[in-house]
Amino acid sequence: MSVIKIKNITKTYTETEVPVHAVNGVDLEIEKGEFTAIVGPSGSGKTTLLNMIGGLEKPTSGNITINDTEIENLSSSDLIDFRLRNIGFVFQAYNLIPVLTAKENVEFIMSLQNIDKAEINKRTISLLESVGLGNRVNSKPTQLSGGQQQRVAVARALASKPQFVLADEPTANLDSVSTSQLLEIMEELNKKENMTFIFSTHDQRVVDKAHRIITIEDGKIISDVRK
Amino acid sequence: MMLLKIAWRNVWRSKLRSSVVILAIASGLIGGLASTAWMNGMADQRIESTFAIETAHIQLHNKTFNENFEITKTIDSTNYVLNEVRKIKGVKSATSRISIQAMASTASNNTGVTLIGVDKEMEKEVSMVYSKIDSVSGNYLETKSRVIPTIVVSKALAKELKLKLKSKIILTFQNYNGDLNGSPFKVVGIYKTDNSKWDKRFVFAKQSDLRRLASVPKDETHEIAILVDNYNEAKKISEIIQNKFPQIKSEDWAVIQPYTEMMTSYMGIMMYVFMSIILAALGFGIVNTMLMVILERTRELGMLMAIGMSGKRIFIMIMLETVFLSLVGAIVGEILSYTLIEYLGVAGIDLSSMAQGIESVGFSVVSYPKLDLYSYVEITIMVFITSVIASIYPAYKAVKLNPTEAIRSI
Ligand SMILES: Nc1ncnc2c1ncn2[C@@H]1O[C@H](COP(=O)(O)OP(=O)(O)OP(=O)(O)O)[C@@H](O)[C@H]1O
Ligand SMILES: [Mg+2]
Repeated sequence: MSVIKIKNITKTYTETEVPVHAVNGVDLEIEKGEFTAIVGPSGSGKTTLLNMIGGLEKPTSGNITINDTEIENLSSSDLIDFRLRNIGFVFQAYNLIPVLTAKENVEFIMSLQNIDKAEINKRTISLLESVGLGNRVNSKPTQLSGGQQQRVAVARALASKPQFVLADEPTANLDSVSTSQLLEIMEELNKKENMTFIFSTHDQRVVDKAHRIITIEDGKIISDVRK
Repeated sequence: MMLLKIAWRNVWRSKLRSSVVILAIASGLIGGLASTAWMNGMADQRIESTFAIETAHIQLHNKTFNENFEITKTIDSTNYVLNEVRKIKGVKSATSRISIQAMASTASNNTGVTLIGVDKEMEKEVSMVYSKIDSVSGNYLETKSRVIPTIVVSKALAKELKLKLKSKIILTFQNYNGDLNGSPFKVVGIYKTDNSKWDKRFVFAKQSDLRRLASVPKDETHEIAILVDNYNEAKKISEIIQNKFPQIKSEDWAVIQPYTEMMTSYMGIMMYVFMSIILAALGFGIVNTMLMVILERTRELGMLMAIGMSGKRIFIMIMLETVFLSLVGAIVGEILSYTLIEYLGVAGIDLSSMAQGIESVGFSVVSYPKLDLYSYVEITIMVFITSVIASIYPAYKAVKLNPTEAIRSI
């Protein structure tokens, strides 16, 4: 069963001097439980593609279906709620609310979903343990390393029990040790919970971990390999 | 709950900036509250002394007395009226007075005065003039004098007529029968109130002396002055008296001294006007600060919207943060203002250097600022409203952020 169905989407930015075809006719299906890397040179359209899948940007044409919902038909406030309930996000940086502790950051997203307190508490601790931060629950983001912050972000992304997790260059700011730790954790969660991950990267070591590698150039998919 | 926590902690994120805003609000409030309290204190003292010295709370006269202050326009059966008035609920004390327009002359000068004939003991329960004579300035008609009647004059009048204690003064007036009559009086007391204009006008003698000298018939007087327990009820009680004695004119303080009435309501409005101006200025400062906050947190806000925080929640979060920041400022300002006002309320503000100007319009030189607790509550509500209004535009700006642009700028 595919979680994401993308039919011939394009994205053209017209507010520039010459129109930029950031994504130029992409067809793609992502199955439940896939661990997919999107690679390609800078400016090839990775972020644009991920943003459209995540409902952060509207495609210029084509459509995206997530579990039977055509997201381009959602109003912007429905879209926010849709993101909250269906998609986990990990960004390159600034993922966390600086005034909240690791635990509170994870709790926050569940409180937005109005999950009850006891459930929130239980889930938060187990998530932070699963990303190896069971002993740092009360640390503020500034007290954590970049790698630890990204792990909290992964825990937060999973807290809302999303359909899939989108991660745009999650390791771009990390050293190699933190990078492989984060990848291991993501892989582990993928295996254990059958969580779907889609991440973009420049890093060959990250690419090597992926089970499916989609390469794009100039807004087009030029190869799609399953391992 | 979570939003409250985030908003509250966000207030303390940039300690320096928040402290500046808090101090700005606090100083605004101190300025506004302290000056309001000062004006309040002055007005209150003025009002109290108006009641205690000049008008009492209610005055009764012959219906036409106030037209020309004619000596024949008296209240009949004064003692009966006095007794009946004292029986009315809410009446504290009452006294009767003879009031005669007279010319006061000494060797050096002469001037018109109002000669009041008082029943010394009864008068003390209504008027505080007796307490305005200091220890070196004689007494309130206590000195016995067989030969000539005694009189109490003000310091201001004494200066103008070059009078001292034991000086003689001639008072010329028309008596009840229409004859002109000049009598010497001996000064036994010199008083001084906060209102030098009033002081120059009124001199006090014994009622029995004046009754005899001016041939005022027994049981007739010109004025009955009444104090009530609560001055806000003066009007109501005055109406009761008026109904009881339709032949007499009964007037409460607000009618006798419309200026005092005006001042009480004016002072109330003053605070709102004053505080509104200060708060409007502070409001703009708050808007500016919050816009800076939003600019600084563009990425964070974009991230929050991306992961699924609704515009409504973003709006509430920014609003809460603004309100918290402002209320902290308000509380700091109110604590400092309270301390200052309570201190000055005891120590007083002394304006001796400007004494003449102030006293000529009836305000006392030393004033004691005061502000009731209710005003602090009102100010808190005003600050709250200001901060809610001030937060609308920044919060709107935050909601209108485009999450992708915010995130791409990472
Ligand atoms: N808001 C925008 N307005 C105009 N052009 C844009 C905008 N966002 C992206 N682009 C352009 O779209 C193209 C694709 O950008 P995108 O960010 O998707 O690339 P990317 O593959 O993520 O690159 P990188 O690896 O550097 O992150 C680029 O040419 C970029 O300049
Ligand atoms: Mg990118």
